[in-house]
Amino acid sequence: MSAPFFELEAFGEGTSLVVAMLIGIAFGWVLERSGMGSARKLAGQFYLRDLTVFKVMFTAIVTAMLGMFWLGWLGFVDISRIYVPETFILPQLAGGLIFGAGFAIAGLCPGTSCVSAATGRADGVAVVLGMFAGVLTMGALLGSLGGFYSSTPRGVLTLPDFLGASYGVVVFGVVLVALVGFRAAEAAERRFGGRVDR
Amino acid sequence: MSVAPGYQRYLGAAALVLGTLAIVAGSPRLGNARVDIAGLAQIVEREEDHVTALELADWIRGKRPNLRVVDVRDSSAFEAYHIPRAERIALRDLASTPFGKAETIVLYSDGGAHSAQGWVFLRAAGHERVYFLRGGLSEWLDDVMNPAISSSTSESSRANSARIAEISRYFGGVPRSEEQGEQAPQAVPLSDAERHNSQPRAEHGHAASRKAIARLRGRGC
Repeated sequence: MSAPFFELEAFGEGTSLVVAMLIGIAFGWVLERSGMGSARKLAGQFYLRDLTVFKVMFTAIVTAMLGMFWLGWLGFVDISRIYVPETFILPQLAGGLIFGAGFAIAGLCPGTSCVSAATGRADGVAVVLGMFAGVLTMGALLGSLGGFYSSTPRGVLTLPDFLGASYGVVVFGVVLVALVGFRAAEAAERRFGGRVDR
Repeated sequence: MSVAPGYQRYLGAAALVLGTLAIVAGSPRLGNARVDIAGLAQIVEREEDHVTALELADWIRGKRPNLRVVDVRDSSAFEAYHIPRAERIALRDLASTPFGKAETIVLYSDGGAHSAQGWVFLRAAGHERVYFLRGGLSEWLDDVMNPAISSSTSESSRANSARIAEISRYFGGVPRSEEQGEQAPQAVPLSDAERHNSQPRAEHGHAASRKAIARLRGRGC
């Protein structure tokens, strides 16, 4: 049996929903245990005081990347069947800026706001409500945005395609960036220190 | 989480080792050469999978470097008539034919079906620059060998007509005037599809050409 299971029809829809539920619970639990439900901790990142978010995210990226790469290499995962969202340069740049501003103001991103709300934090609940209001507003405005929403399309674009390098070289590059980043993050924390906890 | 305990160093070292080995490993297997169906579908939706007969004619006439025009019909049809510079490769041999990375491959058959299927085979075999002639050899005959030339007086359409007529004559074709009731003599031997076609060639060609040229104008070619 090789993955992705649902895509290759090893799982039915029901099974895949159950699996998604279990993965979601595990994801939320890990986020909360890494302290990412706290807006204070997340905001610390923007002052270089506490780079836990950066370290947790990059650790997850490197772990998942190495896992997918080697499982794919061994033939257990068909990585060509994994969904890659399409790239639209300008709308995604604009969206990224809005998202980043919201992240810095709220101190929470979509996933961490759910975790924060689930642990009963009022700011977390406010961010979740705001997020859904934003999604609905965006949906209502979509028509009047004209062609901007789908402008500058680049299709499905991955780093190996974009850089013209093999997957292996890209994997090595990302690992290197992560390790150097971890070092730099710890150095920044030591310098700007004073960790704020929960 | 205090300052890096020992196990974090081990994890970092393991990531570095796996990452370094990845360079040697190259790329993961893509599921026994399974086709990226979603990717191909996008190319089809963007209409980047085919060329028109006039585009192909332009490429051949402009001596586009590394162009391979491939006829996937049977040998008797190929002997009877084929697009200049075309070579014949049977569908079953397509995927095993060693094409160069830089080569642009244009497939054609009588209609569009066999060449479109050949397009999928070649894309599945990893070739990037593959196109097929959408309307097949019939489009080539209608739009290049025997094109209807509009007698419209507008400048852009006159320039377009002149260009089409020039391309047609380059390939030994006979452009027809749209206004003339009589058709110009048949310029090329009949293809298989036409032999099966009960309609007289000229009549069929006239309507099809008119449609094809209208389509080209619509696309601003």
